[in-house]
Amino acid sequence: MNILRVIAASCRMQVAETRRVPAQMLILATSPLFAAMFLSVMKRNGDPTVLTNAVFAPALISLWFMSLDLGGGMISNERWQATLEGLIGSPSRLGAVVFGRIIAVVGLAALTFVESYVMARLVFRMDVRIVHPLVFVLTLVVTLFAMAGTATALAGLFVLSRNVLLFQNSMTYPFYILGGVLVPVSLLPFWAQPVTRVFFLSWSSDLVRASMRTDAPGWAWQLAVVAVLGAAGLVGGLVLIERVVRRVTATGSAAMA
Amino acid sequence: MTDLAVEVRGLRRVYQARRGAPEARTALDGIDLDVVPGQIHGLLGPNGAGKTTLVKILSTVLLPTEGTARVLGYDVVEHRQDVRTRIGTVFGSERGLYARVSVRRNLLFWASLYGLSGRVGRHRTEQLIERVGLAERADDRVEELSKGMVQRVHLARGLIGDPRMVFLDEPTTGLDPVAALDFRALLGELLAEGRTFLLTTHDLDEAAALCAEVTVIDRGTLLMTSNVRDVGRRLAAPDRVDFDAEDNMVLEKLRGSGLVNGVSELDKPGRYRAEATSKESLTSVIRLLADEGITSLSTSPPTLEEVYLQLVGDRGMAV
Repeated sequence: MNILRVIAASCRMQVAETRRVPAQMLILATSPLFAAMFLSVMKRNGDPTVLTNAVFAPALISLWFMSLDLGGGMISNERWQATLEGLIGSPSRLGAVVFGRIIAVVGLAALTFVESYVMARLVFRMDVRIVHPLVFVLTLVVTLFAMAGTATALAGLFVLSRNVLLFQNSMTYPFYILGGVLVPVSLLPFWAQPVTRVFFLSWSSDLVRASMRTDAPGWAWQLAVVAVLGAAGLVGGLVLIERVVRRVTATGSAAMA
Repeated sequence: MTDLAVEVRGLRRVYQARRGAPEARTALDGIDLDVVPGQIHGLLGPNGAGKTTLVKILSTVLLPTEGTARVLGYDVVEHRQDVRTRIGTVFGSERGLYARVSVRRNLLFWASLYGLSGRVGRHRTEQLIERVGLAERADDRVEELSKGMVQRVHLARGLIGDPRMVFLDEPTTGLDPVAALDFRALLGELLAEGRTFLLTTHDLDEAAALCAEVTVIDRGTLLMTSNVRDVGRRLAAPDRVDFDAEDNMVLEKLRGSGLVNGVSELDKPGRYRAEATSKESLTSVIRLLADEGITSLSTSPPTLEEVYLQLVGDRGMAV
């Protein structure tokens, strides 16, 4: 049970830090602007079938952006404030601390879903009807878990890489496409579709859309796929972070360079 | 199992060449060290001597290249988890804590990492906040505290897991004299609880005031380990004679006697110090001074600083 205690404590620590430095959650200020942009285009276009994309794409984009941003900086920040050695020298696993902190940020970033919804309903007066609330809520919860798992993997990957910024910059827009965030994966060329399916966000996007349609066949197994892909990311992340710890203890430095 | 708190044998640590440091660097070169339980053991040496590297290895955050190290009977490589649950480490820096959150939140977080359950962790946190005298500032952010207070938070963090062995890595660096004295007083109290401390420092007064034994290292090599008083004797430095003299003739006689290495004037006018060439010549120096009618004199062993400077040579405190 100690690992759950460490995850919870790390989560609380991250929330406490974010309260002191609200700029860490700047995404909550920019996400409504993205939502307004998407909704304006949709309203001008007049096609109601893209309503779901217009409402929730900004939230998914914000979540992915936060994961990249966090993943790139999480372990480096610990190193910068000289807490990394203390964490490594403690009886707990660094991976549990990183995952706990990421859960907190992803959880806070999930408020962008609420912002997008409020923007659509109150500002654009659109009828956003969630036909299957259970599917929607479960999708949100499992997607947040998968996002946290993937961000944990990115945290390990980025600290082992020589060029974090290059990674971060190249993993934004292409992944919005691969994740089916901007347009459904089914509209992509057939050869690209298998690639998208190893990325959990493509399943999450489909599920969000399905929750707003009258028919939502096969949602349970699609949720399971998101959970499995998220868990794979988490396990991969914990393995990578363990490698970081081994590197630090072997070389005295976490950096590859 | 051994009764020693720390047992180090043939410990080497080589930092491999990397970008920015093209040559491999030997930080520790075959160190042997024993630390007896229940005392403060000082690790003295100039910057770059290898003190921090040794503490890092003993606290399991760095692997040795060769040799063995055991803490409280557990090997730091083979049984690192056993070591981690039994030790605390205190760094001498304003960093190493979460500066933007409160003292209490920091300690609660570290309590969880040391396996303390919610209620036990909260109790231990409050106990330590009280112990280090920060009850009034427990809800303040760490970044709002003075250096001395931050160092107390570091100490509380190091003690959160109730360790029997505590590593103190230059804990009073940068503190003003009053804060440093307070910190040392606190260490004295903690020592009475039966803990063992390994204190790295280049503050000789601190080592002399706190430590039962000191180990002097330089350039990764152990120069000596001894009782603080024995350090002076081990070096067998010529003893000193301090005396009052108004007549320069006495000084000339002393200098010409071949019994002293030198005579220097002390801070007080008319007060001088003669360094005898050997223990045997000390008696002759005293007799010579007595024959000249000087009765106000005293002898003293070399200070730790003098011993230290002789051991590390011209490098002194330099990097």
